[in-house]
Amino acid sequence: MASRVALKTKSKGAKGGAKPADERSAVKCLKEWSTWTVKKAKVITHYGFIPMVIIIGMSSEPKPSISQLLSPI
Amino acid sequence: MATLVPPATTAPPPPSPDSKPAEPEKVDYMDLPCPIPYEEIHRESFMSLKPELFEGLRFDFTKGLNQRFSLSHSVFMGPTEVPSQSAEVIKIPTAHYEFGANFIDPKMMLFGRILTDGRLNARVKCDLSENLTLKANAQLTNEPHMSHGMANFDYKGSDFRTQLQLGNGALFGASYIQSVTPHLALGGEVFWAGQHRKSGIGYAARYNTDKMVATGQVASTGMVALSYVQKVSEKVSLASDFMYNYMSRDVTASLGYDYILRQCRLRGKIDSNGCTAAFLEERLNMGLNFILSAEVRIDTYCFFFFFFFFFQLILCQPPQAIEQSTGF
Repeated sequence: MASRVALKTKSKGAKGGAKPADERSAVKCLKEWSTWTVKKAKVITHYGFIPMVIIIGMSSEPKPSISQLLSPI
Repeated sequence: MATLVPPATTAPPPPSPDSKPAEPEKVDYMDLPCPIPYEEIHRESFMSLKPELFEGLRFDFTKGLNQRFSLSHSVFMGPTEVPSQSAEVIKIPTAHYEFGANFIDPKMMLFGRILTDGRLNARVKCDLSENLTLKANAQLTNEPHMSHGMANFDYKGSDFRTQLQLGNGALFGASYIQSVTPHLALGGEVFWAGQHRKSGIGYAARYNTDKMVATGQVASTGMVALSYVQKVSEKVSLASDFMYNYMSRDVTASLGYDYILRQCRLRGKIDSNGCTAAFLEERLNMGLNFILSAEVRIDTYCFFFFFFFFFQLILCQPPQAIEQSTGF
């Protein structure tokens, strides 16, 4: 009895082994890619958000001048 | 010969003003007003009872380059609370300079602040269509795993509002609020935090008339919050608030007042924890605002006082109200 059960599980393992491996690598790939994207987006936002707001503001009407941007008064 | 002129048929005389209030107004259930957003359900009591009490000195200078774009410089010196394991609150004196850029358009609002230690606070509010709004905010730091970001999609219907919230750390939330009668609105929310493996559901109700607002909120995290605000006159309102956590058996009740006068706004409150606070905002001059805040905590024998000068210089138009900068 025990040996039959053991044989059954072995054959199941051999058949099922090929499919999950593909799926696992696809899911892993997707996770790695999304983590990489989020990390890069965080760095871009951290350095680029304030310059982006300044560029959008400087190009809105009426256009202010660079001297107004830099002077403290 | 004089003839009797029959009286011309005229319209029936208008009803006297006394008879009108006696009839109840007919409610059109198809035309109910749009309720306020779910997260702002306690808005009136929050504004009256929870002013931004701080400790230290802060100086703010906002310079407007045109009607929509402005830069701000802010200096803060004072103790900041550090989270600690023990019940005691640890405060470390800090000082920082903050540079900010704001762009305010009817359709899009961008708000960015960067501190000397590298932290960035960014907020974006964008009207994607007439009824759909995107709001996003982020606090980014150089330290790993300490950054947070959240995005909200709000949809406004004719008599309902719904919101979907997505945050980092697999945080999902959704809320819905519906006007049931012209004065009563009911709503519910549900959230799921993947990182902390927590989820919760909550319900809220809000009843308001011209003179008062009463709200109640219950959540499965154990929170029960009730509030009542009475508008005594145009300038004065009184507020009370009751918070109970049925998991941790924590109770807090507070009572406060809010005086909105022409040049200043004065708010004060007293708490069941023995905390008394007062907050004064005064417009000293065109573009110069002054804030004075004091808080006395009897349970921990702590006293906080705060002075804040806010100077706003706009070259072409009168300064925008403070509410606009703190509104969203």
